[in-house]
Amino acid sequence: MATQATQDVQQASSPSSLGKLFRENIRDYGMFIALIVIWLFFTFSTDGLFISSRNMVNLINQTGYIAVLAVGMTLVIVIRHIDLSVGFLAGFLGAVAAILMVDYNLPFYVVIPMVLFFGVLAGLLTSFMVANLGIPAFVATLAGWLGYRGLLQLVTRATGTIIIPDDNFNAIGNSFIPDIPGTELLPDLHLLTMILGLAAIIIYIISQLLSLRRAQTQDVDTTSRGMSILKIVVVSALIFSSAWLMASYQGLSWTAVVVLIVAFGYHFMTTKTVLGRHIYAVGGNPEAAELSGISVKHITHVVFGSMGMLSALAGILFAARLQSATTTAGTLFELDAIAAAFVGGVSAAGGVGTVIGSLVGALVMTSLTSGMNLMGIDISYQYIVRALVLAAAVIFDVATRRTS
Amino acid sequence: MTQPTEKTPVVEMRGIKKHFGAVQALRGVDLTLHQNEVLGLMGDNAAGKSTLMKVLSGAYSPDGGEILINGQNSSFANPMDARRKGIEMVYQDYALSNNLDVSANVFMGREAVRYKMGPFSVLDYPHMEQETRNLMNRLKIRLPSVRQKVERLSGGQRQAVAIARATAFDAHVIIMDEPTAALSVAAIDKVLELIHELKAQGAAIIIISHRLEDIYRVGDRLIVLRHGRKVRDTDVQGDIHEFRESVVAYMIGARDDFAEEAKV
Repeated sequence: MATQATQDVQQASSPSSLGKLFRENIRDYGMFIALIVIWLFFTFSTDGLFISSRNMVNLINQTGYIAVLAVGMTLVIVIRHIDLSVGFLAGFLGAVAAILMVDYNLPFYVVIPMVLFFGVLAGLLTSFMVANLGIPAFVATLAGWLGYRGLLQLVTRATGTIIIPDDNFNAIGNSFIPDIPGTELLPDLHLLTMILGLAAIIIYIISQLLSLRRAQTQDVDTTSRGMSILKIVVVSALIFSSAWLMASYQGLSWTAVVVLIVAFGYHFMTTKTVLGRHIYAVGGNPEAAELSGISVKHITHVVFGSMGMLSALAGILFAARLQSATTTAGTLFELDAIAAAFVGGVSAAGGVGTVIGSLVGALVMTSLTSGMNLMGIDISYQYIVRALVLAAAVIFDVATRRTS
Repeated sequence: MTQPTEKTPVVEMRGIKKHFGAVQALRGVDLTLHQNEVLGLMGDNAAGKSTLMKVLSGAYSPDGGEILINGQNSSFANPMDARRKGIEMVYQDYALSNNLDVSANVFMGREAVRYKMGPFSVLDYPHMEQETRNLMNRLKIRLPSVRQKVERLSGGQRQAVAIARATAFDAHVIIMDEPTAALSVAAIDKVLELIHELKAQGAAIIIISHRLEDIYRVGDRLIVLRHGRKVRDTDVQGDIHEFRESVVAYMIGARDDFAEEAKV
């Protein structure tokens, strides 16, 4: 047995493992590479207009509400469900927020938690149908899609578009974090943004080095170390250039702050906590999870509850960006979010997909729209290009999975 | 082969009955399992072997009869309850999450927590990985890494992980449902060696199997069920061909050691 076992180990690190290493890493980093390629392409084809600070800030604010939905959708798809109701739920809750501020004169700091809470309730209603009544998520959330669409039209019927007068609320979609006042240092740069960016880089490098050192002392194959260091360099450079781009315009937008908080929080939850581990366990093998004492029902409630809350957040971001609630807000957001998740490497079979991947997926999809708009490409072709990218991403995913 | 009669059995099931609708799946089955014993459980399809083990592992509650664990009368509300009382079941389809790594699977549902942050419990990765490594070393299971995703392991390695997982938390009794089904010959050898290793370390094991060779190689005792009744309870001994012929005779109903009891 001993000799056989050592043979197994040797096979794992034989010359063919170089190809394997490439395949494994192309799976993990393929999305980042695709994003960089897309950005470079649009930068050259628009003579630098695409990469200009102003466009990038716009791009991030446009991605915001889809990114937030894509993060929630990732977890929904990981546990083998789908949520079609999130678009109109976001639109409806955005309208609710507007009504609470306009008709009830509630301040934004009361309205936002209230609306987020309503979102959780809506999510729990879905999960009650899915987990307790056993209705397929596709059908249950299709009902939600119809229902929230109806509710959105109902609450905006009398008024039409509701203009939101609260500047603080609207700032979430349009304004930037304040700068440190009274500094003469680098007057052209938004100093606080640069400081936050550098802090992020330092925290990132320290956390990566710590986990690298842990890996070194243990049995992890050292072949991927070079890859890890390359990753640290590339990600640090990306953070630095994004911070620089934003700092040389008006700094970090509030939308970006919200997205970063959501992304960081969900990344932490999915990778470092027991709850995250259980979500992926349920996605990988629900029967095994249940036999291990994990309540699949409980996880379903948590995931749909969080999806509802993030739908509310997306509704708030969108309403704040438009400074109004419209009768058609949220139309097709759900499909954009689902597309972003799949482009970001989520697998429809369940159990596979990361928050950061979906975030990058959302960025890829909005970058395509933004870049093609700048190039003046006809909208019909835009849809076709996005279709090809979505299909290519999923084909790539399936192909790299099969080789393992 | 060894039957320490003076010691209380680890498991004693007496007169277990279970029916599903009109079907009487178990008609009063007795089963004893001693410390450090490997018990084979055989029988044709629908003989009741899986039902009996699901009763023991807490998945079904019996209609009649009693279960004694280390001499104490016990009943289980659900599989988790049985597991807390030291009875682990290794399911036929491995019951692993393929998308997670080895250490995550070993600790599934029993994750080690470093600290709590509000409603969130933060995983203690180093502890779980080290414990998994120790476990694999103790059972002489060799894997490239405990961070390997289960989907990248061979069938034999997966079964080894599933079995190791069952032994990770001080189990008294490990029930294995067809542990060698759907495995290659080399992988079967490894799994049987693992069962030997577990026995050497003092575990009591019940194996449901269709493969008589496996029971012959690792088993100490064999129980044959037929139509929900025990028809044979014997030590594993003698020549394999004779052993096989006699077992088959019991499985198809040509012989029955407990026919008298059944009529009473």
